[in-house]
Amino acid sequence: MRRKPAGKIERSLNELYRDDPERAEALAFGRKTGTSRRGFLEGAGLAAFGAAVGGAVPFSGNIPAGLFPAAFAQGTPPAAAPAPAPAPERRAPQLLTFPGKDGNLIVLGERPLVAETPESLLNDDTTPVNKFYIRNNGQIPETTRDADAWKITIDGEVNKKLELTLGEIKKRFKPVTMRMVLECGGNGRAFFSPPARGNQWTNGGIGCAEWTGVRLADVLKAAGLKSSAVFTGNFGADPSLSGEPGRQALSRGVPIKKALEPHNLLVWAMNGKPLELIHGFPVRLVIPGWPGSVSEKWLTRIWIRDKVHDGVGMGGTSYRVAVRPMVPGDRPDDKNFRDLESMPVRSIITSPANGAKLAAGTQQVSLRGAAWNGDHGVRAVHVSTDYGSTWQAAQMGKPTNKYDWTRWTATVRLPSDGYYEIWSRATDSRGVAQPHVSGWWNPQGYGANPVNRISVLVA
Amino acid sequence: MSLALARASLAVRSIFVFALVMSAAGFAAAQAPAFTPRHEEPEEFPEAPGREEAFYGCTACHGFKIVAQQGMSRQRWEDTVDFMIRQHKMPVPGAQEREKILDYLARAFPEQPAARRARPNPFLKN
Repeated sequence: MRRKPAGKIERSLNELYRDDPERAEALAFGRKTGTSRRGFLEGAGLAAFGAAVGGAVPFSGNIPAGLFPAAFAQGTPPAAAPAPAPAPERRAPQLLTFPGKDGNLIVLGERPLVAETPESLLNDDTTPVNKFYIRNNGQIPETTRDADAWKITIDGEVNKKLELTLGEIKKRFKPVTMRMVLECGGNGRAFFSPPARGNQWTNGGIGCAEWTGVRLADVLKAAGLKSSAVFTGNFGADPSLSGEPGRQALSRGVPIKKALEPHNLLVWAMNGKPLELIHGFPVRLVIPGWPGSVSEKWLTRIWIRDKVHDGVGMGGTSYRVAVRPMVPGDRPDDKNFRDLESMPVRSIITSPANGAKLAAGTQQVSLRGAAWNGDHGVRAVHVSTDYGSTWQAAQMGKPTNKYDWTRWTATVRLPSDGYYEIWSRATDSRGVAQPHVSGWWNPQGYGANPVNRISVLVA
Repeated sequence: MSLALARASLAVRSIFVFALVMSAAGFAAAQAPAFTPRHEEPEEFPEAPGREEAFYGCTACHGFKIVAQQGMSRQRWEDTVDFMIRQHKMPVPGAQEREKILDYLARAFPEQPAARRARPNPFLKN
């Protein structure tokens, strides 16, 4: 029993904040009710909230419970004290500490937890689970003990509403395993100028794993799509960040035509092992080639809609690009946007690493990399050591299916010691190549896929 | 905060804190959370007026690290706050508080060129 004596109440608050700030906030300030949030964060409420959270650590011990509200009262921020203009700062990247994950993944955010994979960690043909990027839009749900009892509902514009357990799904439909790319819709966002809003992914919101599951098309056919079916609405069990009951962290979907594509899977295993919780255990969607946000983790429901799905993360400028190109940095007109569907072509150099130092006298460097595209395969990769003045073709591996990435290799010559950039540029099956700069600016930063650049120093 | 208000909030928060302690007891019996975000403090971020308002306004839902990653003009910060209110049900700040939040965000996290953020040169020492 962890219940504290009355005089230690404020310490319990501190402890809970330290252990789980989100839960502590929800519990202490009733944010889950949804009603007390608004008033509370204004005026005096803000000061109280500030004192409680900001002061949580220094309290650390023996203040009697009766003094607690006094501390709240003291929390009013000093009014308009002249402060120096903040110096532009560059912090070292924050490395991830997470059970089962490589400690060199780079944290973009902790609430929600988002981490990208440096390109040099993507050197394996199949991305190991410990190197696979993490993207969440909400909280991580609690795990379930009995995976096979997990329920998924298929309803809406179907002839027969299905409520299947994962165990039934495994038995009833034919499982398949395919190595396919999963990529965050915002991958490359950091290359936009002016900066676009959101997690500042470089090229690391990408992984290519062996996914085992059953075809989404088989499940939808079993439910029987009505002619009125237009779109899927995908739902997962992850609680929203605010913790408001009934509010989805994310709920996106795809047109029925894309949903029926035979590479889409209801997945329970990744690289031959049950999904990790952080990747959607016990079951998730994998809809390859499109923004990762349509591949709902912790899948609970697919609602077949009679119109374009309007869940959280649909509409506005979310996961959307401008129809008529807009002035970079300008204000968007929501009517000028369409969903980002197939992801753009991209290549990365996975060896050597950006920042590699090569021994003086090195004249030849072997390169390894990967290239991929949404619905359209990759035709070629070219590399350059002279800022794009000249290019040479890379040797292309053979992808195992339409949504696998293409591994490539090349050997480049460096004429002297010194500083070099090595660039890679992929071209898709239609002849569309990566641009040299990130164009087609949009406020939330989708579709940035400029040529990949690494720096090496021969010295 | 007036004394009366402080007393009122004492009563209300006592209930919250009591509920918190009781829930914490129950919570300990349940399984450990999958991931515990590091506790952030406003002092970790650039100092300028409005820092507290911005920090607590944003961290009611998400970490401040995502905020500090951005670099935007004041107009775009304003659009972003409106987006959070409209799309993500951010509590609507009062007019004065809103100004403080926007002043801070625009000053602490202004627009900067992409190259500097995305791909700092690994061989440049400063």
